Amino acid sequence: MLEARGVQVTIGSKEILHSADLVANAGKLVAVVGPNGAGKSTLARAAGGLQRASAGSISWNGEPIERLRGRKLAKLRAFIPQRPRVPDGVRVQDAVTIGRSPHIGPFQRETKADRDAIERAMERAGVTQYADRLLTTLSGGELQRVQIAVALAQEAPALIADEPTSHLDLGASAAVARLLRDLADDGLAVVLVVHDLALATAVADEVVVVSDGRSVAAGPPLDVLTGACLADVWHVDAHLEAGDAGHTALHVAWLRDHR
Amino acid sequence: MPLRRLSVVMIAAVTLVAAIGASLALGAVSIPLRDVIDALTGNLDPGPFKQIVTELRLPRTVDAILVGASLGVAGALLQGALGNPLASPDVIGVTGGAGFGAVLILLVFPGSIALLPVGALVFGLAAAAIVFAVAWSGESRGGIGKLILAGIGVQAFFFAATTATMVIYSDRVQSAVFWLAGGLVSEGWTNTEAVWPYFAVGLIAAAALMRPLDRLALGDDVAASLGARPRLIRLIACATAAVLASAAASLVGLLSFLGLVTPHLVRLAGGTPSHRYVVPVSALVGATILLVGDTLARVVAAPVELPVGPFMVALGVPLFLWLLRKTV
Repeated sequence: MLEARGVQVTIGSKEILHSADLVANAGKLVAVVGPNGAGKSTLARAAGGLQRASAGSISWNGEPIERLRGRKLAKLRAFIPQRPRVPDGVRVQDAVTIGRSPHIGPFQRETKADRDAIERAMERAGVTQYADRLLTTLSGGELQRVQIAVALAQEAPALIADEPTSHLDLGASAAVARLLRDLADDGLAVVLVVHDLALATAVADEVVVVSDGRSVAAGPPLDVLTGACLADVWHVDAHLEAGDAGHTALHVAWLRDHR
Repeated sequence: MPLRRLSVVMIAAVTLVAAIGASLALGAVSIPLRDVIDALTGNLDPGPFKQIVTELRLPRTVDAILVGASLGVAGALLQGALGNPLASPDVIGVTGGAGFGAVLILLVFPGSIALLPVGALVFGLAAAAIVFAVAWSGESRGGIGKLILAGIGVQAFFFAATTATMVIYSDRVQSAVFWLAGGLVSEGWTNTEAVWPYFAVGLIAAAALMRPLDRLALGDDVAASLGARPRLIRLIACATAAVLASAAASLVGLLSFLGLVTPHLVRLAGGTPSHRYVVPVSALVGATILLVGDTLARVVAAPVELPVGPFMVALGVPLFLWLLRKTV
């Protein structure tokens, strides 16, 4: 569905991303992992069309992203940004309605089909019970689910989430992780940018490791995130363990300097 | 539409109709309402009453409605586009530019007083153009912080130019003071005829911007991912506000307080930030406030006219503060 090859991104005069690959397919969850500042978010933003790539190729369903502008692209992929704005006075239902806008022309009103899609999106993300609450009164976890509902209202076959769990507590992170996994199982192509390697290992079909502006490894989590990889990329002495029901653990020798 | 929002619209509409009646009937000379209606429908015999209604009070009433609506809409557009509750025509430099344009004509070229509205309009737009040219340059083009800082800079520059002009021509300052305070005049249709196209273009553009502005509510990234173009929308909304505020300044001087307060009143009273509600209702409420203010300013101490700008601020600020305390 998404195929990005050799993506290069330059912001100002600084090359943030040198060459990175990212492939996402229907029904699969791919996690993009890597240290701070490695270019994970930049890669996700470029793949989602929010950041222009200066070189490389990005295509959605075989069509180059340069030819997919605006609402056409919005019907192919939804994007959940890292730090969305939380405006005053806006209710959950209004926010999710905004997510439906690619389907509504400039001078049209919402149709029954649009209202149904908004309803379904809220149901799926589990926010129906607070549809009438103001965004400013929600907790971080609730807010993140609303963001997912906004994205689902787009009814795009792919979903890119940029660090949706980075400000959440353990329970809220797990809830978001389960939801994203379920969405992939429903047939969506999910790209998840995430810091937490244990979480990535539990939910992802595949991980892409980004380091210093390059994608350095890709494949099933336990095959890729080996002790050698963790030492190389994160400079830690650590290893991952996985069990049933997404039971994962990251064992780290916190006090050993590995540089 | 929920009852609360509907009642705000109804109250404003009824008040506006009453204010139109009062504005046409009251003043230095009181004219019976029946004569006012006859004058408007062409059934009144020519005479001083007819002349006062159709040539003095009607144009002034229309000006108040146009200007009030435009300032309300300009404020709603700016606050929406910049996502900042402090935004008003001051923020994009229009007030400073228009003030300087007017003072330039009033003090330096008093012989060309007919050019006053043009001067205010042109300099208001020019100031906004400088702000936009700076804010839409470089890496962070179209960023809100950059736009606001550029606006404050340009505003300060034009205020300094205005002050300097007033110091240099201090013997003529009298004529500029009334204009800067903001107020309507009874001078017939001449000025309105010159600037109405700007109001028309601005108000039509504002109507088309309501839904795009709603889509900016969750931030630029969400808007962009939904296929909108946040920076372009922001530029068009700010440019539209600049046109409306400059045209307003050209008719009544500096009344930017109305642009700041009206959208807040509408949001607080209506309980929704949606632009599809705030923009049109700000037009209605802005028109109502200015017309009520102007009518009171003419009537309270008749035949002396109080300057409507300071008068309206003196009345509006307590109301605004009361609403602010009550709701937030």
